[in-house]
Amino acid sequence: MLAAAHLVRRFGGRTAVDDVTFEVQAGEVFGLLGPNGAGKTTTLRMLGGLIAPTSGDVRVDGVTMDRASGPRLRARIGFLTETPGLWDQLTVADNIAVYARLFGLDGVATAVERSLRQFELWDRRGDRAALLSKGMKQKLALARALVHDPDIVLLDEPTANLDPQTSRGVRDLLLDLRRRGRVVIVSTHNLDEIERVADRVALISTRLVAIGQPLVLRRQIFGRRLIVHLAAGSAPLADLMAIAERTGAQDVRRDDQGLSMVLDDPDLGAPAIVRALVQSGASIRAVFDEQPPLEDVYLRLMGGHLEQAGAVALEP
Amino acid sequence: MNISRIRTLIGKELREFRSNPAAVLPVVILVIVCVALPFLVLVVIPRVTGESLGADRTIRSVVALAARTQPHLARLPPDAAAEAFMFQQFLLLFLVAPIVGAVSLAAYSVVGEKQGRTLEPLLTTPISTVELLIAKVLASFLPSVVVEAAGLLVYAALVLVFGAEGVAGALMSARSFVMVGVVGPLASLVALQMTIAISSRVNDPRSAQQVAVLIVLPLVVVLVGQVAGAFIITTPMLMLVGVALAALCLVLILFSAALFERETILTRWK
Repeated sequence: MLAAAHLVRRFGGRTAVDDVTFEVQAGEVFGLLGPNGAGKTTTLRMLGGLIAPTSGDVRVDGVTMDRASGPRLRARIGFLTETPGLWDQLTVADNIAVYARLFGLDGVATAVERSLRQFELWDRRGDRAALLSKGMKQKLALARALVHDPDIVLLDEPTANLDPQTSRGVRDLLLDLRRRGRVVIVSTHNLDEIERVADRVALISTRLVAIGQPLVLRRQIFGRRLIVHLAAGSAPLADLMAIAERTGAQDVRRDDQGLSMVLDDPDLGAPAIVRALVQSGASIRAVFDEQPPLEDVYLRLMGGHLEQAGAVALEP
Repeated sequence: MNISRIRTLIGKELREFRSNPAAVLPVVILVIVCVALPFLVLVVIPRVTGESLGADRTIRSVVALAARTQPHLARLPPDAAAEAFMFQQFLLLFLVAPIVGAVSLAAYSVVGEKQGRTLEPLLTTPISTVELLIAKVLASFLPSVVVEAAGLLVYAALVLVFGAEGVAGALMSARSFVMVGVVGPLASLVALQMTIAISSRVNDPRSAQQVAVLIVLPLVVVLVGQVAGAFIITTPMLMLVGVALAALCLVLILFSAALFERETILTRWK
């Protein structure tokens, strides 16, 4: 539904975004990750029709974003910009109402009330925006971006300045948008949060470094390790390691909790390993797949060689 | 072009001005000065010193020159003719007031958008560049014209009360109307277009204000030149100036629309 094809954006001699390509479907939450200055905001601005790519194009349902189609396509997009950008002298309600009118909504008063109630700002509707806390300003900016119930939602750091409870609310909002079939693209540094909601993530550092489901990225980078926690009184670890290796496990390691190992196909291999270990005297307390956080994937990918080697296709 | 979006944005700007009276204050002060200064010079000082305007040889000769193109001056007694002529010249201040006022409001508005980073979210809406520019220009233009009109009403009322007999009538001429009703607002629009166009191309929009206010200079030259008797601007000449300003305004609208790059605003305004 929203496609970026070979997007390049240069500012003078500096290339901010270089050959970035991806597609995001309706009902998908897509995370855009990368260090500061990686080109995330520039990419979002191109997707939102705020700036034109130097080359490549952005398509919404097959329609290329350009000067002529821009206003029509922008009407379908809700864009939370990097900074809230509120009119401080206007009231909370007016800040929303102006946008509702600019987007051509019929029932402006109803839309404003719905938005403000959704973000728990209805009681502050008569206050000047300048009087709001940072978190409330961010919520108001979110309410403004969604007031016209857009098909496509672009969010640049949506949880910046928000307390954990409100961040949780944003996460629920993203899930709700996904349920309602919206295209959602989120640029963020909050890896823990994006991992909980994103169907796929793209890691960019000017160029696309990697793209895929967080789980698939994790497996591609770290493999799929099986963790076996042992209770006290088990057979000696050295014996159990040898048994695991004989049963097909590779890279078997020990730690103070038990063993970890790599299996070619953990879904098939894990029961056999567990059976063999138990028969050899292991008291098993827990067996599970290792889940390194997305942060580890991010740091590994952004850390060096893959970045220099170019994009890694890790689509499932 | 979507009139509703333009109206929405103008409404927003006017609400912002209303909630921050300091933004409109320079225009109000300027208009008060425009009203007060002529009365100080033409009514208060002559009465205090006992010297009439008509007694001044230079003024008499300039009035005689002006009377050739404005017969109603010739029909007034010398003192009243001199007073009417001078009140007419001071009307030129009402050309300067809306220009300076509107440009100051526009600069305030643009600087406000810059400081609050409010333009980027605005550009995410379907509003087109031309709609945005028209709304910005009109939102600064309308309050300054309203304040100017109010000042003119007060000016006319004071001339009626304190001026010599026949002076108010001489002032209510086609020439005065063209000057303050046509040339003034058009000059103000031209200055505004320049402000907005330049604002989008410079890092600091306040420098646009400094450039746009330069349009005041030719008006000052006209004011000084007329009072000194160097030349007299006739009504047809004023109408020609009006037509030229209207044409310039149209060209500037197109020019500024082409010049106003959303990207420049987003990437260069830091």
